[in-house]
Amino acid sequence: MLATVLARLMQMAFVMFGISVLVFLIFFATPGSDPAARIAGRNAAPETVEQIRHEFGFDRALPVQYGLMMKRLFITRDLTSFVNRGQKVIPQVLDAVPATLSLVAGAAVLWVLGSLFVGVVAAAMRDTVVDRGLMILSLIGISMPVFWLGEVMNLMSQSRFHDTWLFSWVPGLGYVPLSESLGGWFKALVIPWITLAVLYIGIYGRILRANLIEAYSEDYIRTARAKGLSPTRIMLRHALRTSLLPFVTMFGLDFGALVGGAALLTEVVFGLNGVGRLTFHALQNLDLPVILATVIYASFFVVAANALVDVLYAVIDPRVRK
Amino acid sequence: MTNWTRYAALTGAAALLSATAVTAGAETREEMMAAHRGGEIRLVAAAAGGTIDPQINYTLQYWQLFYFTYDGLVTFKRVEGAGAGGVVPDLAEAMPEVSADGLTYTFKLRQGLKFSDGSDVGVDDVVASFQRVFKVSGPTAGTFYNGIVGAEACIAAPADCTLDGGISADAASNTVTITLTAPDPEFLYKIAVPHASVLPAETLQEDAGVTPIPTTGPYMFESYNPNESLVMVRNPHFKEWSVDAQPDGFADSIVFDFGLSAEAQVTAVQNGQADWMFDQPPTDRLAEIGTQNADQVHVNTLTAFWYVPFNVNLAPFDDVRVRQAVNYAIDRDALVGIFGGPVLAQPVCTILPPAFPGHEDHCAYTQNPGTDWTAPDMDKALALVAESGTAGQKVTIVVDDTSVMRDVGTYLQSVLTDLGYDASVNSISGNIQFTYIQNTNNKVQMSVSQWYQDYPAASNFLNVLLGCASFHPGSDSSVNISGYCNEEIDARMQAAMQLATTDPDAANLEWAKIDQAMMAEAPIAPLFTPKHVDLVSKRLGNFLFSPQHQWLMSQAWVQ
Repeated sequence: MLATVLARLMQMAFVMFGISVLVFLIFFATPGSDPAARIAGRNAAPETVEQIRHEFGFDRALPVQYGLMMKRLFITRDLTSFVNRGQKVIPQVLDAVPATLSLVAGAAVLWVLGSLFVGVVAAAMRDTVVDRGLMILSLIGISMPVFWLGEVMNLMSQSRFHDTWLFSWVPGLGYVPLSESLGGWFKALVIPWITLAVLYIGIYGRILRANLIEAYSEDYIRTARAKGLSPTRIMLRHALRTSLLPFVTMFGLDFGALVGGAALLTEVVFGLNGVGRLTFHALQNLDLPVILATVIYASFFVVAANALVDVLYAVIDPRVRK
Repeated sequence: MTNWTRYAALTGAAALLSATAVTAGAETREEMMAAHRGGEIRLVAAAAGGTIDPQINYTLQYWQLFYFTYDGLVTFKRVEGAGAGGVVPDLAEAMPEVSADGLTYTFKLRQGLKFSDGSDVGVDDVVASFQRVFKVSGPTAGTFYNGIVGAEACIAAPADCTLDGGISADAASNTVTITLTAPDPEFLYKIAVPHASVLPAETLQEDAGVTPIPTTGPYMFESYNPNESLVMVRNPHFKEWSVDAQPDGFADSIVFDFGLSAEAQVTAVQNGQADWMFDQPPTDRLAEIGTQNADQVHVNTLTAFWYVPFNVNLAPFDDVRVRQAVNYAIDRDALVGIFGGPVLAQPVCTILPPAFPGHEDHCAYTQNPGTDWTAPDMDKALALVAESGTAGQKVTIVVDDTSVMRDVGTYLQSVLTDLGYDASVNSISGNIQFTYIQNTNNKVQMSVSQWYQDYPAASNFLNVLLGCASFHPGSDSSVNISGYCNEEIDARMQAAMQLATTDPDAANLEWAKIDQAMMAEAPIAPLFTPKHVDLVSKRLGNFLFSPQHQWLMSQAWVQ
């Protein structure tokens, strides 16, 4: 057990190191990325640009710059942004986590419940109109880009129908911290939750249906049927349980990636100041310290989610436990 | 949506604006203060504008705030319209006494001024603030303030900056004396911008970043988180000393929220969730705003221009005929259409924007050359290209990734294709495009850029954008993007700047001639002068706009 945990940690450190080096190198290989002149300001004298270059250490060798930046990120923890100078990146990322976590957790509840419903009903009523209808809806959900759906939701709830009874309760775009107001938090997030969950309900529902149908042709289901178990019990206790394995794997990876910042488009469209939006702005401004911090943070979540999935496997599938 | 409908809708808005301005003027300031003081103004922008150190930040977004939070010895008069170009005493009691040789400026500081932390504003703070401009390597340290005695040493070694001989204080008479190395008619302008704000002497000698520095104006910064908001509240130690220089504000607090896209900002203002949006409304929302929110729109001319810098050191633009040909071929009306129609932009042929000191209506690159641009002259353009023998060469236009600029790039590509070139557009992130196109190492042949005035003087366009001193090969900070350097014209510009110290009107006439002389060599192609659209909420009143400060936020009310 300890060996597994250690191996995981090593793996995580290795992935994070690799990614940070890659980000660092891509940044300096980008033409026009030299931050000195941008930091100095428009029409700065060459001497001023040189002062800035020296002050920020851009005149040092790349490995030295990398080392210094990592030291400031992990050891002294005082790495500051190139764009909003003086703003420390670690508190910046940590401040952004609650918004992202609220968004992704709420959406995850919706999409797990939604896709379980879609998958189970479609599989149980296989080849009927209900099945076809659900599958078509899922396909539509998968095909709609999240930023487009988000903008349409905004158009309806903030603009066209904002003054009608249907959407007059919708607050202005932006995140309301849970600590500030439970109702405000909920109202501000309901529409982003639905928007983000639609895609995943579609994907997960379709996959679950396929897995369930496959499971129904297995021997153990036939055995269960022969024993005279009720169809509901067969579906929920026998078929669904094994079919959930790929579901859980995907859920772990998607959840990890979303918490790590992949909910970027949803956050930008709804003006939620989460990790995704932070990454988006950092990329737009070529703000290397923030990019590094968010990327390392994201890789941490992806690796951590993977580890968690392995543990969950053991809980669900007795064959893995040994 | 045609350009005409936009025009009609927004003209209505402009007419309404002038009507409200008249009624507001009927009340006295005291009456307005009594009736409208209080409340909170909510501003919204897509992103924060960086550091809130007034000596370092060089963005329009925060300069607008610094004008009503910080003060210098002098400032631009806080009035609507062109009158804002005038400099008035601010922390100084009166305009400075200037010595006969134009080298020494003596300012007498007002008595009893306080910073927002309660400490007194003294002459030592003024001296320390000027030193700090260099100690923090302010962006304009080497371009605005290098004329102060001792500045050269400060630029070379910022940490040990004393400005010895350049600035001295006399506590007994409460005066500050600044000495220049050469007379500079623009010196008062340069110290009226936020980079010369007076800060407490004990302010850290480094970029303050997100930590507020005590202010002198009616508001102070309470908190700043670039991912969320910037909060400004009343400065408890502020007592109005001059309505012209720093009038008291109406609202009790001003909150600047960050993070909404321009689309969402429009909606937020329409819904009354915000009082003003910083970003320009997307062009596809203009018709809607013009019809539904006509009385909430303010359109104002900016002293700025959009232009195409040609790299005069790279083929094919090292041939003056090619640069002239492109100037002839550009349909400036089409570009105005791309930008949002005639209400939002005006075609230009000169470098100095209309109504700017030194501007004279003149257009060489049009059918029937005269005072105004009328139509492109393709025949002349094609003839010039044929003469130059450069047709068929590859040309890449570098633009940034905003939708308007991409459209402008695509249009220019079609012009170059019509002229026989193999043209392509390269669109890069708006945040790096400006530095990218400046660096000669990137070998940019042609790009699209914009320039906004810092202060109202012709040299702020001509000398800064096309002077030999602004060309630094191989540097990201080389604002003479064309790499144009004409020794003779440069000498004329130096002479014109000197002439301005004694005879500003004659100098402006000379600047107009310099503008034409430069355009004869066509290192750039001026495209149009943009106008600024301010969309405000229904409840916001007393909207005043000046080209220098833009919207005077402290003078608006929300109740």
